[in-house]
Amino acid sequence: MCVTALAAFAVTIIFRTSTTANFAQGAISAFGCYVVADLLNKHGIPVWIGVFAGVLVGVVIGVFIDLLVFRRGRHVNELGKQIITMGFVSLFFGGIPLVFGTPERIPFEAFYNTVKAKTSPNFVIPALGGEIVITKHAVICLGITVVVLAVLFLLLKYSKWGLGVRATASSEFTAELMGIDTHVITAISWALACGLGVLAAVMYAGGGTSISAAFMTTIQVNAFLACILGGFSTFYGPVIGAVLIPLAASCVGFLANFKGFYGISRWQMVIVYVLLLIAILIKPEGLFGKKTLKKV
Amino acid sequence: MDIKQEYLSAAYPGGAKKNIGSNIRAVFANPLAQIALVGVVLALVQFLALGGMISSAFAYALGNTLIYAIVAIGFCLLLGYSGLASLGTAGFIGLGSYVAFYLIEGMGAPYYVALLVTLAVSITIGVIVGFISLRIEGIYLAIMTLALAEIIRSLLMVLKATIKININNIVLFGVNVNEKAVYLLITATFVILMVLTSNLIRSPVGRAMLAMKDSTSASQAMGISLMKYRLLAFVISTVYAAMGGLLYMMYVRNMTTATSTLLTLSTSLNILGAVIIGGAKSLWGTTLGTFIIYGLQSMFLSKIRFFVDHPAFITMITGLLIILVVMFFPGGFAQMLAAFRGWLRRKRIERRIRAYVDDRN
Repeated sequence: MCVTALAAFAVTIIFRTSTTANFAQGAISAFGCYVVADLLNKHGIPVWIGVFAGVLVGVVIGVFIDLLVFRRGRHVNELGKQIITMGFVSLFFGGIPLVFGTPERIPFEAFYNTVKAKTSPNFVIPALGGEIVITKHAVICLGITVVVLAVLFLLLKYSKWGLGVRATASSEFTAELMGIDTHVITAISWALACGLGVLAAVMYAGGGTSISAAFMTTIQVNAFLACILGGFSTFYGPVIGAVLIPLAASCVGFLANFKGFYGISRWQMVIVYVLLLIAILIKPEGLFGKKTLKKV
Repeated sequence: MDIKQEYLSAAYPGGAKKNIGSNIRAVFANPLAQIALVGVVLALVQFLALGGMISSAFAYALGNTLIYAIVAIGFCLLLGYSGLASLGTAGFIGLGSYVAFYLIEGMGAPYYVALLVTLAVSITIGVIVGFISLRIEGIYLAIMTLALAEIIRSLLMVLKATIKININNIVLFGVNVNEKAVYLLITATFVILMVLTSNLIRSPVGRAMLAMKDSTSASQAMGISLMKYRLLAFVISTVYAAMGGLLYMMYVRNMTTATSTLLTLSTSLNILGAVIIGGAKSLWGTTLGTFIIYGLQSMFLSKIRFFVDHPAFITMITGLLIILVVMFFPGGFAQMLAAFRGWLRRKRIERRIRAYVDDRN
């Protein structure tokens, strides 16, 4: 859930500032995650520094993409920009196995085993005759996500940079006329988005997922859907959407406890996607979206 | 002499001589003749392979590439002629292959029944998804189809671990056939779809799609229903992808749903890459692009050691090519070729004029 929220925010900020859906988000995150995994496993660097380095790699990639491709490709139309990001997906899908060799691995296993030896990975809360099990991993992720997103939203609302982003988002041309350096703004948002993506990927992989070049695809699909559900026109909409989607999924999963819905957990995501389709059918601009009017 | 006449006679000295070859040339300028010629050549490859003159592995790889070319033609119509990008191609291929498996292996249905059911299913799904995601402009189609492809992939994984068709169950018009005959079927399908698509492009429908791509607002003002033509293009591309899946199942006959790369995002991206690199506005360009991305890999590069060890390298190059082509040659290889031919012609005429002027001096 936290992972999706971060990824959704990253997608939105690029969508707003460079008017393109960044399909390479997942692939770039996976690349950063591989860097972190390598640092942890091969060089034995502590987690915090490793994550920091990974995020830095993400930031550098983001800035490079913006500088080398998107700044030059301003004349390329919206569809072309999307296709360029799809090209990046292909580039990273090919590049990751070349750079990091073996395609699949569980990066944080060694790290987990040492932690597990000392403490139980779960918090157990007794409630209503049963027990609710929450993994410490989830708590840590939730903490990081809340802090990061809170800081970002405060910055967006009150800092000069945030004002620049919002101005660029509403109209790049006008923002430029008003003396905002839109080049810097888009570069920063690419850096931010890719950095956040790497953070999200590390958090996701930290749950014991095996990573491969495509392991973020599901998360990314969810993030995109969250953006659509929440509406691209606000920054908070996608985050709320990102919370709603896994929530709906767990609600559907919870139904499996009742008789008659026994096999439902296999169809969990399918049902959620269908619900989403219905939501979009009813409110195409998203739950928190505003309708945009287009002048000819 | 009139200066224009003088110029013409200098630039095209053999103006009269051309008439001899122009009949043949006129025939081949007709797109239908071109398609038929390519179809005959492709079919000939299989017969040569049967005769032992070409390795059968080559013919097999060619058949595989043709399947992707069929999918790519549909995608070309969607991307190049309607300006919509979909990422669900892999999902629709998976859909087609599952329908093929279910009907042919599970129920023992002959080819044409499988074909009809595939058409019906893909049209239904295409209309539903298209209708929902095309209601709004922009990136929604790409995202929704991406989600749909993921749904179909997980659905197939739940339904069946390995999809496998027994060779004895493939019946074509009452005769039990092997993959060599299926190759001919693929070629025939390719030719038929190529003809249909090239006719469609030159029809009012195709013109409406082009207008829609260039400016949605202007085309709407001209009375073109955006929804109708977008939906049409999307459904056609869905149908072609499902046909590709059907043919793939009959040709390869085996697929492991959890590990097959056919069902993942990379297939959709490769098809997209093929269309972009080849030239999104040209059917021949698209076919060429498919041969670059799939054909080179399976027919030629598979002999080189380096690419066998690092298959990912090809994916990487595809990505790089997509980015470069979109940035510098939006028309793809088709545009490059046309530009090159124009340049050659200009050079030739320039040379003739210069020689003529030198002569006169």
